Amino acid sequence: MKEDSLWTNIFRKQSNEKVDTLVVLKKIPLFRDLSRKELRQLERILHQRTYKQNEVIFNEGQPGVGMYIIDSGEVHITIGPEQKVLAVLTKGDFFGEMALLLEAPRTASAIASKPSKLYGFFQPDLFSILETFPRTGNKILLRLSQMIAERLRHSNLENQELRKKLDSLTKKEQ
Amino acid sequence: MDVTVNRFLKILLALLFFAALIWITVKLSNIITIFIIGALLAYILDPITSFLEYKGMTRMQATSVVFLLLALVLFLFIYFVVPLIVDQVKVIQHTFSSGQGTEAIQRMEQSLKESIPMLKNVDLDITTKLHEAINHFSNSIFSLVGSLISLITTLVVIPFVVFFLLKDGRNIKKGMVSIIPNRYFEMTLNLLYKTDQQIGGYLRGQFFDAAIIGFLSVIALWILHVPYFLLIGVFAGLANMVPFVGPLTGAIVAILVVFVTNGTVNQMIMVAAAFAIIQLLDNVVVQPLVVAGSVQMHPLIVLFAVIIGGQFWGVLGMFLAVPAAAVLKVLLVELYNLYRTINLSQQ
Repeated sequence: MKEDSLWTNIFRKQSNEKVDTLVVLKKIPLFRDLSRKELRQLERILHQRTYKQNEVIFNEGQPGVGMYIIDSGEVHITIGPEQKVLAVLTKGDFFGEMALLLEAPRTASAIASKPSKLYGFFQPDLFSILETFPRTGNKILLRLSQMIAERLRHSNLENQELRKKLDSLTKKEQ
Repeated sequence: MDVTVNRFLKILLALLFFAALIWITVKLSNIITIFIIGALLAYILDPITSFLEYKGMTRMQATSVVFLLLALVLFLFIYFVVPLIVDQVKVIQHTFSSGQGTEAIQRMEQSLKESIPMLKNVDLDITTKLHEAINHFSNSIFSLVGSLISLITTLVVIPFVVFFLLKDGRNIKKGMVSIIPNRYFEMTLNLLYKTDQQIGGYLRGQFFDAAIIGFLSVIALWILHVPYFLLIGVFAGLANMVPFVGPLTGAIVAILVVFVTNGTVNQMIMVAAAFAIIQLLDNVVVQPLVVAGSVQMHPLIVLFAVIIGGQFWGVLGMFLAVPAAAVLKVLLVELYNLYRTINLSQQ
């Protein structure tokens, strides 16, 4: 299956160590630059949620306010009424981070395909951390911008490739 | 058939639940009022605590510092200002019981009847009404300060509520959000944030605005040699928290006091002008700076909200009417938006 570059965790690192929340958080690219103390500040803000198997985390088209980090379990990112799977995300992966900056409808649905424990980090939490701990907030914001730029670059490359394919197909037809 | 009975039972249970809720709210209204005042103070002080936290303190340290400062301000207020206010209230009571004030009121009643033909044959009886009002007002102040239970609740419970809400408010909010089902969780969080944005600035702004207006009024009335300047100034500041009605009430009370205490017309005009200038300053300088239009509502809605709030909860209701209406507005707008996006995505 070709995974969607917007939803797949292209920053994923393969490693199996961990246990505690701080280790999970430290692995998230968004929080990679944070010190242990800053991670603890962040942990106090995060919302821990548990989902049953096949429970919807959010639906496509719903207004989104933030991102989720997978602490355990598995999440399917799907699109359309036929629920075409765009990406399968597991422990340490994250999704929906665009909603941290842009309050727009979700472009895909997220469903817990196994019983899952997630951490929610939302726009109000980001604003609150920016006010209370600006240094921590700025580190997160800078990382977020870099990640979005990276996703944009990725999409751009994919776009160019697809355009090339389209061009060659039209040439063949002619 | 079973379905109908089930539905009926559900509706009945829901109605019983709401009736019980209303009954409990009415029965506990005193405690709820104290809690609301505490929560309001904690809410107003939260940015200061967060600022200290940002400066490197822990939440506990920041809360303690804010609390100590608040205790100091309160102590200074009780030590210096409250005795003066109580003295002034006593003087007003004495003036009325000795008949000095009654004479002035009768004079006012006479001149009103002469200048407004409509009132010629009407018995205005302002003396009794004003007498009753002042007695009621001063009695309520003395009963508030005097009664032991009020004293305990005011001096112990409110600071307790403020302290713990200030220290643990964030965790309490997080804990409450954590019990919301996954389906409504994001929406609730969003609503809480939007509501906070709308009313946070408003409440804090109104509080500082009232302090500034109160201070300016006290100074202006003191310069104009108005008797009971401290009492009227503090009242004008507090009244200013209620939109529309408040600012006008402060001015009217000041002018009435000047009239009753045999003040000259010139002095009355000066007082009116002073209040007009203060209101102008408030609208042009203070309000845009501190309140900053955080609650965006039509003036007519604000006016209705104030009247309805006053009907149900008195002065506190009038003050809380605007933020309550703002919360309702945010809820309705967000629910409508949600309904629209769900409908659009289904189409």
